[in-house]
Amino acid sequence: MEMHVKDVDGVVQIALVGRLDSPGVDQVETKFTARLVPAGANGVVDLSGVEFVGSLAIRMFISVGRALARKQKKLVLYAPRPLVNQVFESVSLNTIVPVAADYAAALAAVRG
Amino acid sequence: MDGHTTEIRFAATMAAFGHAFSELRRALDQTQLDEATRYQVELVFEEIVANILRHGSPGGATLAVRVELDVRDDRVLLTFVDNGVPFDPCSHPPRVLATALEAGGLGLGLVRRAASHLDYRRTPQHTNRLVVTVPAARSRAVG
Repeated sequence: MEMHVKDVDGVVQIALVGRLDSPGVDQVETKFTARLVPAGANGVVDLSGVEFVGSLAIRMFISVGRALARKQKKLVLYAPRPLVNQVFESVSLNTIVPVAADYAAALAAVRG
Repeated sequence: MDGHTTEIRFAATMAAFGHAFSELRRALDQTQLDEATRYQVELVFEEIVANILRHGSPGGATLAVRVELDVRDDRVLLTFVDNGVPFDPCSHPPRVLATALEAGGLGLGLVRRAASHLDYRRTPQHTNRLVVTVPAARSRAVG
């Protein structure tokens, strides 16, 4: 599981690449949370490189999204692959963590 | 490939989970399942094994897990056997909304959505035996 991070104009841009199954979440969760929550930064997460998500990944996104919301910041996911997006839709993830179609929409959502 | 059966045995640790998942995916590479069915099979494997790791051994002992993958014409059977504490996923109410996270059961909700049937029994050998049936579709032949 790879995680690439950039800071652009006050927004932390994270690209996740690989599989967010339990072993994948185990590898990345501490780094992912540490990069976003302590600083209270707005974050957008590129999921186009993520082949698989399970419930642990959903919990990770919700946990970070809620922690940021307490600091009046946002986490927005974008560009999930169709099968990954089906999992998100099946649990109504969008009601807690916004899921955008692409980077521009994610940026608009995080700044909106 | 029809009638494809694979058995995977591993200890319930995160490292072994990763290796077992790779083994499952190699076995699925040998089948003609379409992407969506394959995803559902992997999702069931993920959620059931993760549940065994998290909740199967309150005392901390490392459990033994056996998973059998049986790919048939119209369905995939996943059989999970573990020596953890009794746990019948069929007896837990389905919760699929992320807003119900605090109550638990998100992973089992995903399993219920993926499966057409779940069959659980506690065996005389004091193991959990869960059979999950996932409806299967095939990739179209090319050429």
